[in-house]
Formats: sequence, structure tokens, C-alpha cells
Amino acid sequence: MTHDLNRRTLLKAALGSAGLSALGSLPAFAQDARIRLYWWGSKERSDRTLKAVALYQERNPSVKIDGETLAWGDYWPRLATQAAGRNAPDLIQMDYRYVAEYARRGALLPLDEFLGKSLTISDFDKASLDSCKVDGKLYGINIGNNSNALIYNKAAFQKAGVPEPIDVTWDKFFELAAAVTKAHNGEYYGTSDGSSEETAFENWLRQRGKALYTEDGKLGLTEQDATDWFAMWAKAREAKACPPADLQALDKNNIETNLLTQGRAACAFNHSNQYVGYQVLNKNPLGVTMYPQGAGPNPGHYLKPSMMWSIYARSKVAEQAVKFANFTVEDVDGAKVLGVERGVPASPKIRDAVSAELDDMGKLVVGFIAHVTPKVGPIPPAPPKGAGEIQTMQRRIAEQVSFARLSPADGGKQYVSEAQAILSRA
Amino acid sequence: MTTTAQIPLTISEPEKRSKRRGGWSRTLVSYSFLAPWLIGFLGLTLGPTLASLYLSFTNFDLLQDPQFIGLANYQRIVTNDVKFWHSMQVTFTYVILAVPLKLAFALGLAMVLNRGIAGLPLYRALFYLPSLLGASVAIAVLWRQLFAKDGLANVALGFFGIQGPSWISDPNYSLYTLVLLSVWQFGSPMIIFLAGLRQIPPDVYEAANIDGANKVQQFFKITLPLLTPVVFFNGIVQTIDAFKAFTPAFIISEGTGGPIDSTLFYTLYLYQEGFAYFRMGYASALAWILLIIIACFTAFSFLTSRYWVHYND
Repeated sequence: MTHDLNRRTLLKAALGSAGLSALGSLPAFAQDARIRLYWWGSKERSDRTLKAVALYQERNPSVKIDGETLAWGDYWPRLATQAAGRNAPDLIQMDYRYVAEYARRGALLPLDEFLGKSLTISDFDKASLDSCKVDGKLYGINIGNNSNALIYNKAAFQKAGVPEPIDVTWDKFFELAAAVTKAHNGEYYGTSDGSSEETAFENWLRQRGKALYTEDGKLGLTEQDATDWFAMWAKAREAKACPPADLQALDKNNIETNLLTQGRAACAFNHSNQYVGYQVLNKNPLGVTMYPQGAGPNPGHYLKPSMMWSIYARSKVAEQAVKFANFTVEDVDGAKVLGVERGVPASPKIRDAVSAELDDMGKLVVGFIAHVTPKVGPIPPAPPKGAGEIQTMQRRIAEQVSFARLSPADGGKQYVSEAQAILSRA
Repeated sequence: MTTTAQIPLTISEPEKRSKRRGGWSRTLVSYSFLAPWLIGFLGLTLGPTLASLYLSFTNFDLLQDPQFIGLANYQRIVTNDVKFWHSMQVTFTYVILAVPLKLAFALGLAMVLNRGIAGLPLYRALFYLPSLLGASVAIAVLWRQLFAKDGLANVALGFFGIQGPSWISDPNYSLYTLVLLSVWQFGSPMIIFLAGLRQIPPDVYEAANIDGANKVQQFFKITLPLLTPVVFFNGIVQTIDAFKAFTPAFIISEGTGGPIDSTLFYTLYLYQEGFAYFRMGYASALAWILLIIIACFTAFSFLTSRYWVHYND
């Protein structure tokens, strides 16, 4: 491509002098590798990651690791742009939602060739390994497992004299939530509105034996499913179990703006490893339990890698990057530094070693995963291209229903027709 | 004779050389001063612009090589993209409301300040401050706090017994809250208006006073006509700015354009297509359509300007 060449030449011209001086300042001894490491997350995660990096460098003085961290929202545009410029970081913290997208587009390195050599994860259970595979090849190293989790304010339930919503059905859940709202004089709501949350919708679908997407990347639900979902929440809104639309719309899909953190509602629909993030921002002690259940025996939950390490396809230090990733999941010292902040470790030996030294928050997360594990179903196939857009679309349609601009039935119809259009375009 | 002939020769030779050398090094100096802009222009403006023109004819997902697909992107935009028309509508509503309101507000305040009140520099700086910070993330975040349902704006309204709406999270109000934010950043057109007002000779007003013209007449017969070049300039700059508005909507809605796409500005939609959904080719086509629209608007303004802009005639 001509513009590619031009840009490169220009970049070289522009950065030539800066690059030269940087080279000049390198230490005298030869360095085997300089690894660029990239992750999203909180300050807590950043501190832990950098500590692990320091420990690794201490043991391997010939390796230099440069860390870079961003917030989730800024992370993906930046990674896509860097990949487009053929300049992505060597070691990338990857999410289950994006791994297929990047792997199928050739941006990630298959890791099978490292297995048994620099990558010693043979003690991972099959589910933890399979969840990082795309089309049969391994594209990620599971850093930790999590599952859907209802995070709730214990004090709000106690104060209202209402039992905590531990492993209850949806009907019971809304009943409890409405009672909490009532006990707080209607200014504080029993639960946040989950109709726009993809995780809650997916979990509920699985309880019905359906799925968001089928194995071959088609839509796995019908108009009736989506309609029932929106109708269920419309009823909850009417019963004041959850807040009205204009209040719920303040939630921008992150911990800081979630109505639980804002002191407006008692429950949040989220993932178990985010419990730590919620508890840090909430004064009241929080509890964590499974999502409300359907009538059938299927709880809808599954274990997923909360995140994974992936290697950039064009990385020149892939081997070194794999070694560091291995250090964080298979070396007791490395894994202890990270704790369970990225999820519960997949390796049993590491899980035991890490669990022994956890604080109360960490213990709660590990306990929750232990509680859920016997009940989980298989992980759904990696979402197809366009899934991110459909997630945004669900939020829009849920808002249209909650602002009474669409009936639940029309919302269900629109969900399916728009989702199909997005899938056929992607 | 020979000596006199030689002298100018020996002198002119190094003189010439030094002139040439001086000229070259002077050129070099000027180019090196220009270099930051030149590199920026070539690398960050011209290069990407041309690249985006090419990409707008391709299917480009950022990770794989672009595939040439001709006019398919443009065809889809015009014939089969509901969101395109919706974001157009949002953007035009914003432009049509925000630009005139902002200019009127800026002109009004400029006229008040022009009367020469005490502490003028202080007021000028204070009023200019929001424009300076206006496009920044911090202000948008602050704005989000102010206009939340229990934000300061509604607390203030509460003193007057008014129950305010949830400005930014109610789709009936969210776009107008952004218009308000834009009007509040009236500082830079105000400063230019102020400079324009200073250019109007006071004796014109004195003459009008003697002839018995009242303040309203003076405004419409003297101030406004003499100020039309400034109005024209401000109008064009602010219109282009409004078309390109991005940051406030991006921050206040966390990049979603919500609630219910009520703040889905054209640029925000473009950003989503390119960076959130990996359709950079399509986003490039959207960008070029925006460029054409802004160019048409500006050309139209210039063409009609001869009928209402007066330059000292």
C-alpha cells in the first residue's frame, strides 16, 4: 500500500532523532527482549500488575517490560488503532467478547506451539482451556475465571427487614425488591433495572434453554423471548421494584455510575471479579450471589475467563511474552501478586496457594466461584462479529421500552429484526 | 585602473557567496521554524485525509487489509442507513439551535461590556474561560454532574419550587442540555464581537443621537450593519464547530449517544462505526459526507454574504 509506505517513511523521518537518542541511552548489557504489555482496569489492578512485572524483571534481568494501562472504554479503540498501524503491544489483556474478533482477523498468535514448552498450563481444566480457543486453536491464556453475579447492598435489605436475595427465583426477587423500595419510602429502589444488561438477558435466556447466539453465529432467541424479557421488567418498573427510566439512564454501564454505587438501588447485575471494585466504592458491606433463577433447573450461569493474555501476531518477542504470561498463571510467586483481582486462577495448585493468603474480599469471590462451579453450564460459543453492536442496541431498545416509547412486544420485534440486520452486515 | 577594477571583483566574490549562503541558511532557518507545522500538516492532516478518501471506497476492519468496494459505502449511507439520517437530524437540530443562540448571547454580552464598565478585563477573562475549557473532558464531566437529576441545576430550581427534569438522562431534554452547554461557551465569539464593536466610530452614534434615533434604531441601523462582517465570520466558524461537536456528547453519554440515541451526533455515530464496530471504511465515507455538507454550508454562506455583509461601503 502506498499510503502505508509514505506514512512509515514520514514516521521514520519524524521519530528518527528521538529514536536514536533512545537507543543511545540503552544500558550497556544486551537485552534479550523488550516486551510491551497492555491491559485495562482499575488502579488496584495496575499496582498489582506492575508489581508482578518488577518481580519478573528482578528474576530475568535481560527482559524489560513496558506496561501501559487504560480504562475499558478507551482500551479497545486504541488497540484497534494500534493493530491497524501494525504496532500493537506484544502481550495484550484480552476479553472473551473480542478474542474471536481479533483471532479470526489474524491479529493474534496461536499459542499451541508454546504448549508444554514455555507455556505450562497443562493443569488447567478443560473448560478453562476451551474458553480461550477460537476455531480449535488456543489464542489466550486464562488469567482467572469469573461468573455472573448479583452484587447487593446487605444493609439495604436488613434495614427494610427483607431477606437477602440469595438464590431466589425472578418472581421472588422482584417481590423482595419491591418490598425494599417500599421500606425506603420509594426514594431508594430494590434493584437497578437489568433490562438493558446483556449479561442478565443472556443468563435469563439460558434458564429457558435458549442462547444469545447459536454455534454458527446466528441469533439464538425469538421475538417472543425478547418480548417476555422486556415485559418482565416493565412489570417490575410498575411495581417500583426497579427505578424509573430517567433515573436508570444515569447508569453508563460501569461501576462508578451503576445505581448501586450511586446509592439509588440495592442490586447490581455484574460479574464476580468486579465485586472487589464495587466494595471499594461502597461504604455498606456488599453481598454477592447468583442471578435470580427461572422455574426450570438450569441456573443459566457459566464460568468464563474474566480476561486472558493474548500475543500479538506480529510480535518479535512472542516467546518472551509467553514466558511472562506463564509466570503470572503458573508461578506461585507471580500469581500471588495478582491475587484474584482478575478472577479465580484456573490452575488448582495456584488457586490453593493464592487462596491461602487472601483478604476477606478475595475469600468471598473464591467462595462464590466454588458455590457456582457445580451448577454451571457450558460456556456459550464466542460471540459472532457484530455482538458488541447488538449489546449497545439492547440498551437502546430497553430504554425505549422503559421510557414507554415502545411496547414490550414492539421492543421484542425490533430487537430481533435489528440484531439480524447487524449480524448479516458484520 | 586595474586595482580599481580588481577591488570590486575581490569584494563581490565573497559577498556573492555569503549572500547565497546566507540566503540558503535563512531559508533553512525559516523551514525549520515551519517544520513543526509542516510535519503536522503533512503527517497528521494531509496524509490521513487522503488515506481516508481511499478508505472510504473500501471495506476496512482495521485489522485486515482494506478491500476495494467502490461506492458501496456511500450507497448504503444514502439508501439504507436509518442511523445516518437520525444522527443528521440530531446534528442539524443542534446546529440550528446552538449557533444563533450562542451568537445572540455573545453579541448581547459584548455590547454590555463595550459600555466600558469597571473591571472589564476581568469580566472578559471570566466570560472567555468556558470557551477555553469548553471542549475539554473536565467541563463535560462537570456538566454531567450539574445536570443530573439531583444535580446543582435542579437544586437551584428547587429553591423556586420547580421540580426540574433529569436533564441529561431524559431523551426529551438531553439534546437541549447540550445546546445550553454550547451557548455557555460564548466567550470566543464574544471577544471577536467586542473587537468589532470597538471598530465602529463613536461619531456615527453621536450623529444618530442628534438626529433623534433611539437605541433600538441605532442597533438595527448602525451597529448590526457595520458588524455584519464579524457576524459572518463568527457564524461560519461556529457553524463548522457545531457540525463537528463531539466531546460533550461523547462524555455525557459515555460514547453511546444515549439515552435512546437522543444525543447521537453525526461525529459520534462516525466514531462508533469506525472504532467500536471496526468499520473504518464506512466511517471514512461518513467523514467525507460531513466534509461535503460543511463545504456546501460554507459555500452557501459565502454566496449569500454579498447581499447582507457590508464592508465599509
